[in-house]
Amino acid sequence: MTTTPAKTPEFTLDVRGLRLQLPGAARPVLAGVDLTVGARETVALVGESGSGKSLTSRSVLRLLPPGATTEGTVAVQGEDVLTMDAKQLRRLRTHTAAMIFQDPRAAINPLRRVGDFLTESLRLNAGTPDADATERAVRMLEAVGLTDRVLRQYPGQLSGGMLQRVMIAAALMGDPALILADEPTTALDVTTQAEVVGLLDDLRERFGTGLLFVTHDLGLAAAISDRVYVMYAGRIAETGPAEALFEQPRHPYTAALLRSTPRLDAPAGRLAAIQGQPPSLREELTGCLFAARCPFATQVCTEDLPPHLPVPDEPSRLVACHHSDRLADQLAESALHD
Amino acid sequence: MTDTTAAGALPADSADSAGGDPVLDITGLHRSFGSVQAVHDVSFHLARGGSLGIVGESGSGKTTTARIIVGLERADAGRVLVWGQDRSGPAGHGRSTRLERAREVQMVFQDPFLSLDPRVPVGGVLRETLRLHFPERRADHDRRVGELLDQVGLGAREAAALPRQLSGGQRQRVAIARALAVEPAVLALDEAVAALDVSVQAQILNLLGDIRRDTGIGYLFITHDLGVVRCVTDEVVVMRHGRIVEAGRTADVLADPQHAYTRLLLDSVPRPGWNPKLIAAARRAL
Repeated sequence: MTTTPAKTPEFTLDVRGLRLQLPGAARPVLAGVDLTVGARETVALVGESGSGKSLTSRSVLRLLPPGATTEGTVAVQGEDVLTMDAKQLRRLRTHTAAMIFQDPRAAINPLRRVGDFLTESLRLNAGTPDADATERAVRMLEAVGLTDRVLRQYPGQLSGGMLQRVMIAAALMGDPALILADEPTTALDVTTQAEVVGLLDDLRERFGTGLLFVTHDLGLAAAISDRVYVMYAGRIAETGPAEALFEQPRHPYTAALLRSTPRLDAPAGRLAAIQGQPPSLREELTGCLFAARCPFATQVCTEDLPPHLPVPDEPSRLVACHHSDRLADQLAESALHD
Repeated sequence: MTDTTAAGALPADSADSAGGDPVLDITGLHRSFGSVQAVHDVSFHLARGGSLGIVGESGSGKTTTARIIVGLERADAGRVLVWGQDRSGPAGHGRSTRLERAREVQMVFQDPFLSLDPRVPVGGVLRETLRLHFPERRADHDRRVGELLDQVGLGAREAAALPRQLSGGQRQRVAIARALAVEPAVLALDEAVAALDVSVQAQILNLLGDIRRDTGIGYLFITHDLGVVRCVTDEVVVMRHGRIVEAGRTADVLADPQHAYTRLLLDSVPRPGWNPKLIAAARRAL
């Protein structure tokens, strides 16, 4: 593989046509995902369990389930992760992209000191001398608001919020161009969540990293991201700037998800729940995967897979729905009545 | 019962407005674990058929409070009255008294997978509960199992399924059906919808609303999610470090919070234009 270092890729992360098939599943778990993250950009990937959002983010580090077969490309800094050899992959995971998981306690060895954990990757993969690795660990701990005292402590001596800061510091150790955060605040209290999100935002700005934030929380996605991808059953349903997407959803799934979230600023009382459940992987489906639960569905929805088309007058937004215009009309009408 | 006004956390008329004695009357609960005061002077009452939210973060004492009420934990001091009967302290060892306690307050936990026997199909779970509590109505159990499943929106196919063959939302419906099987006066729901997807969570919250309307059961809703509190409770107490910092009607507390901590919790809910740095600063100042 010949690489030209002078050429800087347009996107830090560029996923194109990613398909992922698991043995025994009747349809692909990821069915053609296109997604980009620019430098210093925060992108939210929103979906419910089974939507494929975590698989998408894990495929960026090629952390794939056993037996998975892939098509398409996942380029980080212009290099395709899916075709890397072991050495390149190790380099990617040490220096280029880092992941922060949901539960810090499950992602850290409880029997080893925090300092050991932080410096491990640099010492073993990059051959960095111990003293240099420790020095960087101290700097990164300072960046996340902790002191070097933590180096000598065990994970069990830290609170959940502090431990998630340690995980963020660990992610920063290799000076990555891209941070993948998979529900990094779901296990934390709401006030701690605010602190961790604020910290991630600071660090992204300071170190110029791109951030892919995977979450099920629409409110959080709206609050923190520049752009949002909404995922359903292995496909991107809709994407666009966060504000526009939440104010004027163009996919019925996004609209339904917004209405079913218990929010503080929505009318109290019954929620508009989405009937039914996401399709099982054992079912082979044609057409739009949301059709069975969609109030707008017609015959065309069960027959033809809706392509991703730009929203009229909003070229930065794409939506995969045959009836996007009907949803827009309905939203416009209900806005008139308010 | 003459002593209802002693419970000071809520306005004295809150129980009366719903008609009659409160189903739960909690006064001055204390509980320490070593040097940690997990619950400190907690008092509130739950009106008949009412829904009360206990809001707080981890370590606030909300779960310990609920466990004392259910009888899974003992209080160092304070009193728990259910229908005016003193229920302070654990249930004791007598089989009949324990069953009687169970019929008063039932608990639904966050993860239904951990609270269901993996080898018993759903119908069997409900039948076992009915057999334990109502052996004298044996002839009626089949009908009652069907009724309970219907009440939580499950059918014959789910009745024959094992817990692992169900989705998270369906399992939580089973846990609710099992709790309802003993016809309790109060359901204590400890983060019962926290692990569910948004669309499924909305289905369960609506279901709980319907059940309360139809049966007059009372809810004690332990949660960290203020959106959920707004959706399903009439009254709310906000707990921090084991103490109640604010209490009142849910609509009032959320619209016009009086305590700085309640304001911090409200500000922490992410929304467009949200500023996490201001929240972090406010948290440190508190």
